[in-house]
Amino acid sequence: MGLTLHHFLILSAILFSIGLVGALTRRHIIIMLICLEIMLNAANLNLIAFWHFSSNPLLMHGPLFTLFAIAIAATEAALGLALVLAIFRHYKTIDLESIRDLKE
Amino acid sequence: MIVAFYLLALIAVLGAGLAITLRNVVHAVFSVLLFFSALAGLFLLLLAEFIAAVQVLVYIGSVGILMLFAIMLTTNVVGDPNRPVQSRGWVWGGLAVVALLAGVLLPIISRTGGQSPTPLSDFNPSVKQLGLVLMDPYFASLGVIALLLTAGLIGAVVAATGASEADQAKTVPENRPRFPNN
Repeated sequence: MGLTLHHFLILSAILFSIGLVGALTRRHIIIMLICLEIMLNAANLNLIAFWHFSSNPLLMHGPLFTLFAIAIAATEAALGLALVLAIFRHYKTIDLESIRDLKE
Repeated sequence: MIVAFYLLALIAVLGAGLAITLRNVVHAVFSVLLFFSALAGLFLLLLAEFIAAVQVLVYIGSVGILMLFAIMLTTNVVGDPNRPVQSRGWVWGGLAVVALLAGVLLPIISRTGGQSPTPLSDFNPSVKQLGLVLMDPYFASLGVIALLLTAGLIGAVVAATGASEADQAKTVPENRPRFPNN
């Protein structure tokens, strides 16, 4: 028995759940951004797996979607970390439970 | 092939699990880099070689370094050792995700058709094909992505530097000196 689509789908679901657990339960803001990246990567694995096991892989839909998703994820990471720096400069902390007020 | 899959899956799950449990943020970033490289291996296993190269270049190359720089510029990496790593009510979040995985995701996956019509290494997709479709039907999307990356670059620079200085200049009253330390 070789590799099937199920292997990749189950692995991707597990990785997505790990990322979601981290994003919901950790209180450090950089860890939360890392968990967002983990979830995006799990979705990318899904896209590539569906493309690989599709009936017409030469249309290249999976790699195209993944390429655009990676570009958007890179933009999101850069912007998110810039916002982390701005938040740190303003509040002097990056503990998510200490950042409660909208106005100083 | 299946041995390689299980090895890479183990590395990926291990890296992601360590990243969300370690207290030290720098160690968490390095374990998530392990997760990214395992995912690049999985992309290679699925014959998406260009995506694997992009994964290594973009994620391991830039996003990891960016996260390390953000950690260096913000605060101590271990945090307050007296406070727990998790936020309040984290048990409910974990239980909700486990319920989502076991109640929604896995049943849906088990209902999909599992057997593949295309066996591994039966087709030979290449970077050339990806470049051709990127140039002909998807040229507009490529332009939009370029625009998005430029806007993201400018926005990141503004958010990290410019806005805070303008904010400071606005909040400092007129009768006080601008820079008290000088």
